[in-house]
Amino acid sequence: MALKEWKETTRDRLFLLLAFLLPALWLVVFGYGLNLDVENIPFAVLDRDRSELSRDYLHRFMQSRYFSFQGYADDERALDRLLTETKIRAAIIVPERFQEQLAAGEPASVQTLLDGTFPLHTDIAKGYVIAINQAFTEERLIEYLRRTRGLTQEQADALVRPLTVEVRYLYNEEVRSTWSMVPALVMFTLMLASPLLTALGVVREKETGSIYNIYSSTVSRAEFLTGKLLSYIVISLVNVCVLWLMAVGLFQVPFKGSFLLFFSASVLFVCCTTGIGLLISLLVQTQMAALIITMVVAMIPTILFSGLLVPVASLTRGAKVQAHLYPAMYYTNIVRGSFLKGVGADVLWTDLLALAMFAVALSGLTYRLFTKRPKT
Amino acid sequence: MTARQQAVTWGRRLAAMTWKEILQLSRDVPLLLFLLYSFSLSVVVSGAGITMQLTNAELLVHDADHSHSSRELIHRFQPPYFKFAGEISDPREGLRQLDQGRVMALLEIPPRFHEALMSGERTAVQLLVDTTNAPQGLSAAGYSVRIAGLFGTETGLASAGLSGAEGALPRVSSAHRVWFNPTQDERWFQSIAHVLRMTTIFAVLLPAAALVREKERGTVEQLLVSPLSPFQIMFSKVLAMSGVILIALSLALYGVLHPVFHVPMKGSTGLFFLLTTLHVFTTAGFGLVAATMAKNQAQVGMMTLFVVGPMLLLSGLTSPYESMPQWVQTVMTFSPLRYYIDITYGVMLKGAGLDLLWKPVVAMLLLGGALFGFGMWRFRRQFQ
Repeated sequence: MALKEWKETTRDRLFLLLAFLLPALWLVVFGYGLNLDVENIPFAVLDRDRSELSRDYLHRFMQSRYFSFQGYADDERALDRLLTETKIRAAIIVPERFQEQLAAGEPASVQTLLDGTFPLHTDIAKGYVIAINQAFTEERLIEYLRRTRGLTQEQADALVRPLTVEVRYLYNEEVRSTWSMVPALVMFTLMLASPLLTALGVVREKETGSIYNIYSSTVSRAEFLTGKLLSYIVISLVNVCVLWLMAVGLFQVPFKGSFLLFFSASVLFVCCTTGIGLLISLLVQTQMAALIITMVVAMIPTILFSGLLVPVASLTRGAKVQAHLYPAMYYTNIVRGSFLKGVGADVLWTDLLALAMFAVALSGLTYRLFTKRPKT
Repeated sequence: MTARQQAVTWGRRLAAMTWKEILQLSRDVPLLLFLLYSFSLSVVVSGAGITMQLTNAELLVHDADHSHSSRELIHRFQPPYFKFAGEISDPREGLRQLDQGRVMALLEIPPRFHEALMSGERTAVQLLVDTTNAPQGLSAAGYSVRIAGLFGTETGLASAGLSGAEGALPRVSSAHRVWFNPTQDERWFQSIAHVLRMTTIFAVLLPAAALVREKERGTVEQLLVSPLSPFQIMFSKVLAMSGVILIALSLALYGVLHPVFHVPMKGSTGLFFLLTTLHVFTTAGFGLVAATMAKNQAQVGMMTLFVVGPMLLLSGLTSPYESMPQWVQTVMTFSPLRYYIDITYGVMLKGAGLDLLWKPVVAMLLLGGALFGFGMWRFRRQFQ
């Protein structure tokens, strides 16, 4: 059985090529291309003060790599239009008497307009603005204290900035986006390609009617199902090794855990994903339905609920439940754990157990659903 | 036959083919049920469930000082960004919890913290952050530095007998005005984003699969010897599937977005549907080109996956388009979704009209035309 499926799959050259090429190519594209940092926020400026100090203040935004200066505006209406057109995402309005007030030791208030369509980016942009304000304020305070109290630079500095935070970044010491993305992308590509391969393989037989040969043959249910799965599991496991080599070789992601643990988790995970594909293929009649349902079922929860982009901890209750009902989250934990944290089975055993349970449940379910005597 | 009659027959044939596609699709019950789910329940879950902003980062504290100042500082790590996860007496216990992924950060306050602050000495606290998810770790660190910095300045000035309360200090603060989504309701963004994703997936796959199915079974030859032009064969599929997608989209719009999430429609509804049709057609063009290259549905599945994946992740729904590397931005000029994002958020939230949106519209028209033309050319060549 397995041999037959293997032959059938390998006969289709283009398909086979894509099955191996797709995960590798995706890893390259997303590994290099998917940048989650918010940078180069386009902004415009309305400077009502036009003083030396206001220019100094605005210069900090222009110098920052988080902002990208798009030009000066003449009035607020121009800013309105730029924001609605999405030419800019933020605008800064410096009020009149900005320099005068600060020099007199009075507070000054700057207005920022932010595009709120993408709340995450709005929030981050707001954070950058506040950080720049804080740094600018500290400098003004130091300067003011020196002037009015006759303190030295050193003394004033100690007064304004007595407390510093030493930040230590754990697990991903250089805080590289690619380091945290690439291991998760290994999960992502496996999650998408394997079920699709399986689902289409089975439904193809259903649609062309060749499944009746199976129904009438002496092949048992278990033999048919394992035979079907085996070749796809082998393809996926080859992909696991290729992806691992790429992650370590090409992207230089450190692998701190044990390869054995990673590989056995991958076997379990691939059993789950191919199982999902098989399950879908048993429920539908046409390849078209199999194709679309698998793609959506595999892609959407994986992007949203697996921890790839959003940590599971910051999901709301309903979404958290959905995340736990899906094998991708557990595998993400294991992959990130073994790449970056270097933790072993003592920490990851719950995730391993969950994956094993998924694999067993899925194969049990497909075994129940697949009957050799369909009703129609 | 006059030109008028010819046009009528042409139209009738197209309509007949389109009807045939709709019938065929309506018999696929699992697929239809799934379509319904994707545009209703699934939108509710994704819209309500996801917050990408840093929220509730679990913070563990090791306080070796237990003074007034240290408590005051800890108290400033507040929701929505941070969530106090408890105090520990042994830093090793904190590391273990970080390893397990139970907490995101560990704040260590040294002994003599209060004393140092009061006597005008410089002091430092240590923060250990889990950066397995780099952006989240970075923003947690950023917030902490800001919170501690502000706390430091305030206590420092207070100890020197100056307090900012009277407003007699040269501080710069900023008043933020957030436009288009003033309450920063992330559900608006997420629910719309989900509908956009679904529309795009279905728009690529449905027509592509329908066309390849005919090829795989050999019925496409039958169609070609019938008095149908290749254009009619291809276009009828796109027409039928676009109709279905538009119906599903209005279901999502009037069944979920408006009543459940109160997403406004500031611009014109007609314009929105018109431009959605344009997006569906353009995206379908990708599917058709893939369909002309594939021999069976398995192949077309892999090929469209290849297009759809990057389109969904790199067009600007998951990360800001402006921050992408330059080469990604260049490649993504070929993604209709990239323009459709600007259009949808523009019309729905910003109330923009064609006068502001003409650039993405023109780009999409060009792209759609090119894809259809290329698909047609390949389709014709294959069967002649």
